[in-house]
Amino acid sequence: MMTITAGGKIIFILMAFLVTFACFASDAFSGEVQECLRCHAKHGIIKKFENNESIEAYVDAKKFMVSVHNSLACSDCHTDFSTEKHPSRRYRSKKQYIIKSSLVCRRCHLNLKATPIHAKVLSEEEEGKPHPCTNCHGSHSIVHVGKRTFKTEEQHCLKCHAYELSMEFNNGETLSLKIDASLLKASVHRKLSCSDCHFGFSSTRHPQRNFKSLRDFSIANSETCRRCHFDKYTKTMESIHYIKLSQGNLKAPVCTDCHGSHLTLDFGKERTLIAHRCQRCHPRIFDIYAKSVHGKALFDMHNRDVPVCVDCHKAHDIADALALDYREKIPEICSNCHANEAIVSKYGLSTNVVKTYLSDFHGVTLIFYKKQREEFNKPARQIAVCTDCHGSHNIISTRNTDPAVVKANLLKRCQQCHKDATKNFPAAWLSHYEPTLKKAPLVFIVNSIYQIFIPGLLIGLILQIILHIWRYAVNR
Amino acid sequence: MANIDRIKGNKIRRFSIFRIIEHWAVMLTFGVLVVTGLSQKFYSLDVSQWLIFKMGGIDYARLVHRFTGIVFLLITSIHIIIGIIGVAFKKWHPSMIISKKDFTDAIHNIKYYLGIESRPAICDRYNYKQKFEYWGILIGGLLMIVTGIILWFPTFITRFLPGEIIPAAKVMHTNQALVIFLIIAVWHIYNSIFSPDVSPLDTSIFTGYISKERMLTEHPIELARLEGKPLEEIITEHQDIHYENLETS
Repeated sequence: MMTITAGGKIIFILMAFLVTFACFASDAFSGEVQECLRCHAKHGIIKKFENNESIEAYVDAKKFMVSVHNSLACSDCHTDFSTEKHPSRRYRSKKQYIIKSSLVCRRCHLNLKATPIHAKVLSEEEEGKPHPCTNCHGSHSIVHVGKRTFKTEEQHCLKCHAYELSMEFNNGETLSLKIDASLLKASVHRKLSCSDCHFGFSSTRHPQRNFKSLRDFSIANSETCRRCHFDKYTKTMESIHYIKLSQGNLKAPVCTDCHGSHLTLDFGKERTLIAHRCQRCHPRIFDIYAKSVHGKALFDMHNRDVPVCVDCHKAHDIADALALDYREKIPEICSNCHANEAIVSKYGLSTNVVKTYLSDFHGVTLIFYKKQREEFNKPARQIAVCTDCHGSHNIISTRNTDPAVVKANLLKRCQQCHKDATKNFPAAWLSHYEPTLKKAPLVFIVNSIYQIFIPGLLIGLILQIILHIWRYAVNR
Repeated sequence: MANIDRIKGNKIRRFSIFRIIEHWAVMLTFGVLVVTGLSQKFYSLDVSQWLIFKMGGIDYARLVHRFTGIVFLLITSIHIIIGIIGVAFKKWHPSMIISKKDFTDAIHNIKYYLGIESRPAICDRYNYKQKFEYWGILIGGLLMIVTGIILWFPTFITRFLPGEIIPAAKVMHTNQALVIFLIIAVWHIYNSIFSPDVSPLDTSIFTGYISKERMLTEHPIELARLEGKPLEEIITEHQDIHYENLETS
């Protein structure tokens, strides 16, 4: 092996001398090349394959002239051809043609396995995955790899990573390392260099790393986001996703699962995108949400007022939605929009909903339970919050629903806590309405009587007391 | 019911042991109900929250409120039953019955306060102020009991009655509570503690005795009945004392 390598080097050096000599000696190509280029330097020669794919047999003379192979004759690579011979050959497909044509490179470039990148490529070839040389190096325009200079680090990395590379993990999973440059350009990180995220890598360093699995790799790589997005990263440490992850559930998402890696998008502009991100892991909830009054408005009408997943659950510090402290926050969460005149009034919705809830039995109890839990760590029972009557992901509008149906549904909701509730019971709740003569006459009348009676009584009593004291003072 | 036994020297027996205990019982249950109830009504005040947390949380505050409510219901029931039995079978003088005289007394007293009449109204065992308090608390208390039970068992009540009863009962319970609280806090506390007539404290409901002097000024009709003397004699006797007081002062 060593002798061959040494021999190969000598041949290469000699060839390089020849090439330089040839270049300085004459600008013109050899006779054969000129002969071939007479036709092939023109556009319009099409080679057709059996599967109807085609390739243009065009050679850019200028590019060929500066290629490392400019001293070679056409027939050195296109071995079947010469100035006399021009056989017609048949190929099944373009792919087959490229693979076959590329094999000719290996006639000269023998010791490919000496470089790690080629060793890897060749080992894949042994498994039946062909890697035609021309995919990376090109054909007629091949330049010397070592002499290529790159304007940016990105170009340097893409010299390999623009092509079908892949890495294998200990468990046999593989990951394509081909990076689509157009994705990088669309990403919010378009101004960053590769090594800003791929810490430890550079134009001179390319450490070999081992990972147990593809998932391990993704999780480890998401750590890199922390270097810039420290605030968000810390927030995620409070999230249910992080808790699940630290408990050993590797399916729990990390930064890149939601934000992507090389194509990191700005979510703010496209709210549907957010819902779709969550859908990947929560498809059932997504389907329910998409049918809800909020989801329909988002997808059908591109409404920007309706909440998407993160508006209620938050994006980074996602709480456990089944935990009591999240439940206690629900009225607050809903009131972010439903108590905001600017948002809900244009849909004819009342901003009283939160106030009427909080001042009624359930709301008052909730306020106390929350405080008791926060201040005295006292475990609290569950008490009805917005979602218990309205639903959460499945909230629908009652506007176009038969009131009788709404009533029947409401009774079912009441019965979840008030087991022995009957059909009159739901009316005990004034449905977020302030009592009026029309909505709840009995309540309104009783309240009005006291509104007059209490001040009247108080004034009468105090007046009597004052008169009594006054008389006493006068008598003395 | 002229009853010489009730006069003991300068003191007159006004309340039996039963009434003294009854007053204590009502006073204590009322106190607990007010503390546990008004702190729920004005739940947003710091003092309310402090009280409720001291009681061990809202659930305990409600529990205490409801079971004290039951005690109040029992006291009220016993009071009514005994009252009915006493008046019907033991020929008690129905001294709390409101009569036309109470209204004329009230007007008379206001005129007296304004200086139109020369002397206050002449009253029986209970004057119109006391009757107002009594009926105010009794009727108010009954309303509180009824609405309280409705609020305690909303699902049961709505089996027979429309749902709107529940919020109506809540509105009534919370407002009536304030009415009773005001009658007690303003009227009763003034009349039995701060009023110059009784200050520093009307002790009759605790000791069971009232001075003859106060009987002469406040309840001359009852005193006349007790001593079996005509009312005019009592009034002149009172006026004598009155003049004596004026001379000495």
